[in-house]
Amino acid sequence: MAALLSIQDLVTAYGKIEALKGVSLEVAEGSITCLLGPNGAGKTTLLFTTAGVLKPRSGTIRFAGKDIAGHPPHRIVRTGIALVPENRLVFPQMTVIENLRAGAYQRSGAGEIEADIDRLMQRFPRLRERAAQDAGTLSGGEQQMLAVARALMSRPKLLLMDEPSLGLAPLVVEEIFRIISDLHRDGTTILLVEQNAYMALQVAQHFYLIEQGKVTFSGDPGSLEQDEVIRRAYLGTARR
Amino acid sequence: MLDLAQNTLDGLALGASYSLLALGFTLIFGVLRRMNLSYGPAVLFGCYCATWTHLNFQAGLIALAVVTIAATVLAGAYVERLCFAPHRRGSAVAAMVASFALWMQIEEVAMLAMPRHIYPFPQLFEGAPLQFAGLSLPGDALVMLAATAAVCVLLHRLLYRSRFGLAVRAAIDNPLAASLAGIDLARTFVLVFALASAIGGLAGYLIVASHGQVTPMLGMWSTLKGLLAMMLGGLGSLPGAVLGGLALGLIEAHSQWFFGPQARDLVAYLLLFALLAARPAWMTRWTTIRSAS
Amino acid sequence: MDDYTIGVLTNVGLFSFLALSAYLLLVVGEMSFGQQAFFGVGAYAGGVLTALYGVSLPLAALGAMALGALAALAVGLPTLRLKGLYFAMSTLAAAEMARILFELLIFQKTVGGETVGPDGTQGFRGIRWVFERGVEPVEYLAIIYALLAAVLIALLLIERSRLGAVLRSVGSDSELASALGVNVGRLKLGVAAAAGALAALGGVLYAHHNTYIEPRNFDIMLGVHSLAYALIGGLGTALGPLVGVALDIGALEGSQVFGGTRMIVFGGLVAVLLILRPRGLLDERAVQWIKARFS
Repeated sequence: MAALLSIQDLVTAYGKIEALKGVSLEVAEGSITCLLGPNGAGKTTLLFTTAGVLKPRSGTIRFAGKDIAGHPPHRIVRTGIALVPENRLVFPQMTVIENLRAGAYQRSGAGEIEADIDRLMQRFPRLRERAAQDAGTLSGGEQQMLAVARALMSRPKLLLMDEPSLGLAPLVVEEIFRIISDLHRDGTTILLVEQNAYMALQVAQHFYLIEQGKVTFSGDPGSLEQDEVIRRAYLGTARR
Repeated sequence: MLDLAQNTLDGLALGASYSLLALGFTLIFGVLRRMNLSYGPAVLFGCYCATWTHLNFQAGLIALAVVTIAATVLAGAYVERLCFAPHRRGSAVAAMVASFALWMQIEEVAMLAMPRHIYPFPQLFEGAPLQFAGLSLPGDALVMLAATAAVCVLLHRLLYRSRFGLAVRAAIDNPLAASLAGIDLARTFVLVFALASAIGGLAGYLIVASHGQVTPMLGMWSTLKGLLAMMLGGLGSLPGAVLGGLALGLIEAHSQWFFGPQARDLVAYLLLFALLAARPAWMTRWTTIRSAS
Repeated sequence: MDDYTIGVLTNVGLFSFLALSAYLLLVVGEMSFGQQAFFGVGAYAGGVLTALYGVSLPLAALGAMALGALAALAVGLPTLRLKGLYFAMSTLAAAEMARILFELLIFQKTVGGETVGPDGTQGFRGIRWVFERGVEPVEYLAIIYALLAAVLIALLLIERSRLGAVLRSVGSDSELASALGVNVGRLKLGVAAAAGALAALGGVLYAHHNTYIEPRNFDIMLGVHSLAYALIGGLGTALGPLVGVALDIGALEGSQVFGGTRMIVFGGLVAVLLILRPRGLLDERAVQWIKARFS
């Protein structure tokens, strides 16, 4: 399978501190690729840099053959990448439907947009119940679904997901992962950052381990080193 | 009793102009999370351009209104480029101090170009005031009230029924989420600034046309009244800006009647200070001033 | 030194007190639009004490400073816990209230056959204590700069001390400072009081230099200017605000070239400079660089 997203030697820094020290990875088209790693390893920084929120200091990001490093976020969305950020980030004072319309901002064709909204409401029945409610009044799980739905409104070819299960009850987490599997089955490529390594490895075709700003391991689920990888993702390697 | 009603009416008309100014401030603050202290001076610049046009050409009322609005938008764009665009991800203090600096600059430009202290401006309404129920309402006050109402209605429709309005509300609600949804924040800021400047220009035009004259004090005056009204209504809220403006007008009209002109301003500032010190929840919605990136 | 230069230098010195006052608050992370009110309080209080009650200038200055500090506490106590912009607006409201109160203040006495004292909007004439004692303008200039130097030395010493580090830490991240055990509220109040006293000192000296003050002198433009001086000069050191004042009043006013377009040039300069250096000319980084070069 061809690589839809290809990142080479990416360096992103906050002032003097380098959060990414030269990350290279690939996301195959149509796959679910998973990024594991302890807190502070740079996973969110990587997604933010890919989504255009942060500018890399050096390195390349190629999406479907085009160089997108350093582009502003709205342009990245237009190129076909959408990010479901950590902590959901919905628009609390806008209704559920308005949140979805915002996700389709870069698209034209009101008819198609409304059709997509209907489709997503069917897929996420709880959102349909709350269509006219302000997003700030939704529960954590509902906001997560809204955030995913909003990202899908831009019809992305690549969906970036940052810790979708964070802070959610186990039943809700299962629902989220079922949605992720459904999306995969429909052909969406997904780059998934997850703390919950167990669930993530059940859906992923490939995974990377990031520690302290560098990729330290790359492999397929079921490989011999998997347990070691999971341990390091949770606990991190021992500091000298 | 009749005096009370008359003062209320006068206060509402006065307050309508404050509401417009406050709307402009609030739009800029809500989206950019910054206070633009060159807002009043930009309005002054617009009014001076209209005055110059009036002195040198035979321009009708509508034409002068257009000139005022256009010139204010131009001045606003200058301020936006120099003070707010460069500090978008940076220091709020630097942006605001830069906007002071341009305040001083714009005022001096206006005063050098037109050095006299007072200039006449064509009166909006020449006829006698409307009389009803023992109350008197000058024609320009009526126009001011009508214009403010129209701006509120149009602004509401813009914000809630248009794609641009969706972008503006998204940017106000959560700038990061807005850019992730594909909204071009930089472009939205520029357009909101222009919109706010246009509203300010309209307010300025109506104010000087009602008074029949324009003075250099308009710059400072507009800034202070706009800020006061915005703060009274609860920083960052658009309906609050309108209500704050009307409230300020009412407070001023009644204070002046009971206590005289100096007390008028004193009461307004005292009220604001007391409200801030007491900190009711509706006033302090914006508990963090995060940079809009 | 000719009279004009003395005049310019005197103004630079006087407004430096005000700029330092705004600077102190900026260091702890607060923006005040209202330090001019304490400048005015100092001017009026000092003038009343010397012109109406024959108090000597040094004592009057101390009295004025105390009053300035008290006024600052009165404003700061209910408002310092407000977040940045709300605090800034409350200082604006307080300062304008002060100015209106000066307009309403009529307090006159007959001294030596003349009526002296604040006369509302007509202002306050006859603050002649300094010149009645035959102090030459250049001597007064020396007094102003001696006091300014003393203040600067005190501030520079504080900056090098632990207190200085604590103050800056509050300015850059007050929540963190609080978590580390700093009583942020009390510290900010202390700084506000000191800033008020400093502005009042400048005010006393100002009143006695001009011999005539009026409420219009202490309007928002003065406050806006002092904030701009503090920021453009640089927040890295107490010398920064002086650079800001010197730049505007000294270089620009002094140079005949700019004359009537001083604000246009200064305003544009400030805006452009802030793009390049958002924390001023002598910001923390510049100060570190200078220290490294000269150690």
